[in-house]
Amino acid sequence: MPKFLVLYKWTLDEQDIKVKSDDLSLDASRAKGKISDFDRNAIEEAAAIVEKQGGSVEALSYGTPTVKQSLKDVLSRGVDKAYWIGDASAETADAAVTAKVLAAAIRKIGPYDFILTGEGSSDQFNQQTAPRLAALLGLPCLSFVHKLEVDGAKASVARKLADCTELATVTGPAVISVLSDINKPRIPGLKQVLGAAKKPSEEIALGSLGLAAEDLQPKASRRSVKGFVMTRKNVIYKDAPADAVAKLVSSLAGEGLI
Amino acid sequence: MSDDTFDAIVVGAGPAGSACAYTLAKEGRSVLLLDRGNSAGAKNVSGGRLYTYALELVEPGLYERAPLQRKIVREQIMLMNDRGATTVDYFDPGFGEAVPQSYSVIRAALDEWFAGEAEAQGAMVAPGVVVDGLIEENGRIVGIRTGEDEMRADVVVAADGVNSLLGQKAGLFPDVKASAVGVGVKETIELPDELISARFGVKEGEGAARVAIGCTEGISGGGFLYTNKGSISLGIVFNPEQAGRQTRHIQDIFQDYKMHPAIHALIEGGTSVEYGAHLVPEKGYHGIPKQLSRDGFVVVGDAAQFGINTGLIIRGMDLAIVSGLAAAKAIIAAKQPADVGTLYRQQLEELLLIANQQAYQNFHGIFEISRIFREYPALANDAMQFLFRVDGKKPKPMLKGLLDIVKRNVSFGKLLGDGWKIYRHI
Amino acid sequence: MTNMTGIFIFSEDRALAKQLLTPALELKQALGQPVTALALDGEAAAELAGHGADKVLVLQSASGWVEGLGDAVAGLVGEASVILIGGTQRGKHLAAHVAARLDAGLTTDAKSLKIEAGKLVASRILYAGLAVCEEEQSFPAVATVPARTFPAPAAAAAAGTVESVPTAADGRIAVTGVTPVDKSGVDISSANKLVSVGRGFRSKDDLHLAVELAGKLKGEVSCTRGIAEDEHWLPIERYIGISGQIVKPDLYLAVGLSGQVQHMVGARESKIIVAINSDERAPIFEAADYGIVGDLYAVLPLLTAAINA
Ligand SMILES: Cc1cc2nc3c(=O)[nH]c(=O)nc-3n(C[C@H](O)[C@H](O)[C@H](O)COP(=O)(O)OP(=O)(O)OC[C@H]3O[C@@H](n4cnc5c(N)ncnc54)[C@H](O)[C@@H]3O)c2cc1C
Ligand SMILES: Cc1cc2nc3c(=O)[nH]c(=O)nc-3n(C[C@H](O)[C@H](O)[C@H](O)COP(=O)(O)OP(=O)(O)OC[C@H]3O[C@@H](n4cnc5c(N)ncnc54)[C@H](O)[C@@H]3O)c2cc1C
Ligand SMILES: Nc1ncnc2c1ncn2[C@@H]1O[C@H](COP(=O)(O)O)[C@@H](O)[C@H]1O
Repeated sequence: MPKFLVLYKWTLDEQDIKVKSDDLSLDASRAKGKISDFDRNAIEEAAAIVEKQGGSVEALSYGTPTVKQSLKDVLSRGVDKAYWIGDASAETADAAVTAKVLAAAIRKIGPYDFILTGEGSSDQFNQQTAPRLAALLGLPCLSFVHKLEVDGAKASVARKLADCTELATVTGPAVISVLSDINKPRIPGLKQVLGAAKKPSEEIALGSLGLAAEDLQPKASRRSVKGFVMTRKNVIYKDAPADAVAKLVSSLAGEGLI
Repeated sequence: MSDDTFDAIVVGAGPAGSACAYTLAKEGRSVLLLDRGNSAGAKNVSGGRLYTYALELVEPGLYERAPLQRKIVREQIMLMNDRGATTVDYFDPGFGEAVPQSYSVIRAALDEWFAGEAEAQGAMVAPGVVVDGLIEENGRIVGIRTGEDEMRADVVVAADGVNSLLGQKAGLFPDVKASAVGVGVKETIELPDELISARFGVKEGEGAARVAIGCTEGISGGGFLYTNKGSISLGIVFNPEQAGRQTRHIQDIFQDYKMHPAIHALIEGGTSVEYGAHLVPEKGYHGIPKQLSRDGFVVVGDAAQFGINTGLIIRGMDLAIVSGLAAAKAIIAAKQPADVGTLYRQQLEELLLIANQQAYQNFHGIFEISRIFREYPALANDAMQFLFRVDGKKPKPMLKGLLDIVKRNVSFGKLLGDGWKIYRHI
Repeated sequence: MTNMTGIFIFSEDRALAKQLLTPALELKQALGQPVTALALDGEAAAELAGHGADKVLVLQSASGWVEGLGDAVAGLVGEASVILIGGTQRGKHLAAHVAARLDAGLTTDAKSLKIEAGKLVASRILYAGLAVCEEEQSFPAVATVPARTFPAPAAAAAAGTVESVPTAADGRIAVTGVTPVDKSGVDISSANKLVSVGRGFRSKDDLHLAVELAGKLKGEVSCTRGIAEDEHWLPIERYIGISGQIVKPDLYLAVGLSGQVQHMVGARESKIIVAINSDERAPIFEAADYGIVGDLYAVLPLLTAAINA
């Protein structure tokens, strides 16, 4: 029976991040944490397979100490046990650091048959963690998966790429990244939320992973972050439809578009 | 406690629900606090002035842990017409004796904090859960339903707000009528904290609360404004029935209020970060349903239509907290679930909630005088303009001038009638 | 295996590979290092050699599964300073593997690239387009570059050399079938005018309103993710956004869509954006040059009729 590990990131909800108009800096003071969107699909996929065919699902996240807030949510989504690494280094971590930390943790708590990730994290959207991790752990990797079937140690997938759908198989252990259309993540019900309180979770101290200080130095470091602003004409017509359309048509004609 | 039963299930983690769950958990009762928001308070809209006494009743000193914004030291009443405004400003930095009388609050932060306090006392808090039904057995309410799940408890506390689905499901009252509620719209506008202090003439940590009359185009209702830390809450509350008859959109009326020179100067340069609309109970004492409980079931807070609106002050959160506390005390004292209803009534009396509601019970009638919302504020401004005008021309005799202004705005008959009506209702 | 320094480029998409030469040649200027291109066949190799690559290595892999070439590419690029990989999905997978092997950084979807103080500085978006950030990497530095970020360079005066290298692939993955996407003949990304539809449409049947308008404008119909992925009213390759297509038409006419950042990031480089939405608070109006606050069911037929005149 397959043993799954799902990797999830605890990110800020970007809907509540505001761009300050004076210096274009980001104000995240109103933003709350959430499980990165596509990771909910990864969790759902593993949980649904295990609910149908048996096996187990564990979850692992590396984040700043606030990552602990994610436990209740992740454990209410069909996960049996959650591991978390809370460390300030996550603040500046790039995909290189993240993959090293996760790989070291997996060496410690693994092995797993299938390690699932989301296609990309909703804040950084590096789309790197799965292939990097596979390279570090010496495992095969299938990315952009939108259908997954597991039969014993074998996984059959359909990958959705821009120009084709590709069918492929791999024998676990393997790393798999999933697309958002692979399933609809559950909205945990009350029983699942209450059940989460009784499930085990375990902190993994970053210091226990045997990583060198150098490993925690990002290879791609952020020099500046600025809110994106678009300057547009913002000419909005609120008249009755016929008048508004007439005005719009003359504006478009003025732009040489019609 | 077996897996699926609690001493109490509290539905709704607004001020009423959290106060109730907090008190029950502190007494060692097993309590489940549910809210449909992804976190408690996530979607709650409210003007944001909390009268501190209510938290003091729950636990002395509790308010000191709360995420409060500014202590209100300026109470302002602003009478507006389309050009100007006459503002009465009562300044009292020592308002409230040992405990400051009121603070501005941001609901999302306050609600999350309060639910967190309940959790810390041992309550089980589950956000993101929509309760859609009650379990009834032999005429008793024994639990709730949410999606596929059922959960049982000795008592279910409906703290689910003004449009209480649970109260309706329990058959205590019908769906809310448009005449019984006000509609509030509110916007939060961010500004540098020091700028807010300067604009309102207050020190850091202190703030102003303002009501505005004459900004609703004659519709029964009024505006409010509270200063927070780094933001201003601005809104209007109005009667939806009258608004429905109005040709102009409520958003446009609100926009005019924001753009009025006397308001705009206060919010200028700010960025709007939040906008929302919500209902408020409007009928005061007479709006409270006859029955507030059934065997195994009580309603608290807005769900029970507790609310006081004198035109100068809006109270709902404090009454919500007090009623949540009253329900908790009743549940703790009850020997069996059937006793809770009577004990709850007693607690509401004892904690003076009913007395407060009764004191303002007839105020509602005053708001039927439509002139309060247009003609009288205009009159006040015309009078001020007359009193302060110096233009070198020959001034009218004082008394005649003032009488002319009154006449221009309302007939004497109406004035007398309104005066009498107000006298009666107070 | 050869040990080289220099700038390397690779994309399995031939058009994109050629576009990568443009930033690569700029980096060559800055670093004074040769540009080596990796290609999958002789034809592609010749094209790259003719457009400025100093050298082209033809990877001779049995499987042709690009994602499985990671170890091989990491070996070939040895001590490269900068590696640019075409930002297709296969390319991103490969790039991440190569970066991990080289213990290097990797900027995903770089919009601009430059060398400053011996580092590669690249800009990219964060938070689904809410913000733009600049990242710097020491060498070796890797970046993926999306299609059409740079134009293809002109033909070079002198052709580079072409060499074949035998390449091992990842044998652990078995590809059992490939079905090309039926593109129904349209490439949204090359359309000059787009009428883009969102959940403001109540049913699939109503889309004819947009189709007729697009017909008059001689444009195409695109959509938001929900219309393609949830409703399946339009094919997947017609949706715009961070997880869909990035487009830059002259006219982007957004109808009944709210304009969330994940969508707009795919459309915000359009020349003129027009919004039709019944909710004047919809964020799309902030992103629009022109807009009509109104019901699309009333506005679209009028607009379609008016454009003929
Ligand atoms: C614009 C405006 C300004 C106001 N200004 C003030 C003021 O300045 N001072 C003041 O004291 N009062 C003010 N009020 C009134 C005050 O907001 C309310 O009286 C108070 O919020 C009532 O608290 P409550 O806990 O009873 O209900 P609510 O705060 O409404 O909380 C109800 C909770 O129940 C949850 N819920 C509802 N249904 C379900 C369900 N089926 N399942 C699960 N969860 C559910 C909701 O998510 C919500 O969190 C104002 C109101 C408005 C609209
Ligand atoms: C990680 C992530 C990635 C995503 N990637 C993408 C992506 O690549 N592309 C994408 O599109 N989305 C993406 N999304 C989803 C995105 O956030 C929005 O939810 C989505 O774009 C909204 O689609 P919509 O505008 O069609 O629908 P809505 O947001 O529901 O907007 C519908 C609009 O129609 C208006 N309307 C309704 N009726 C009428 C009428 N009769 N006349 C006129 N107007 C009307 C409404 O006012 C409303 O503004 C992503 C989300 C996440 C979390
Ligand atoms: N800090 C992290 N902790 C756990 N998993 C992560 C973390 N960062 C990324 N992942 C996983 O890797 C996927 C891709 O992330 P990214 O490479 O950042 O786009 C995410 O969807 C997660 O499944």
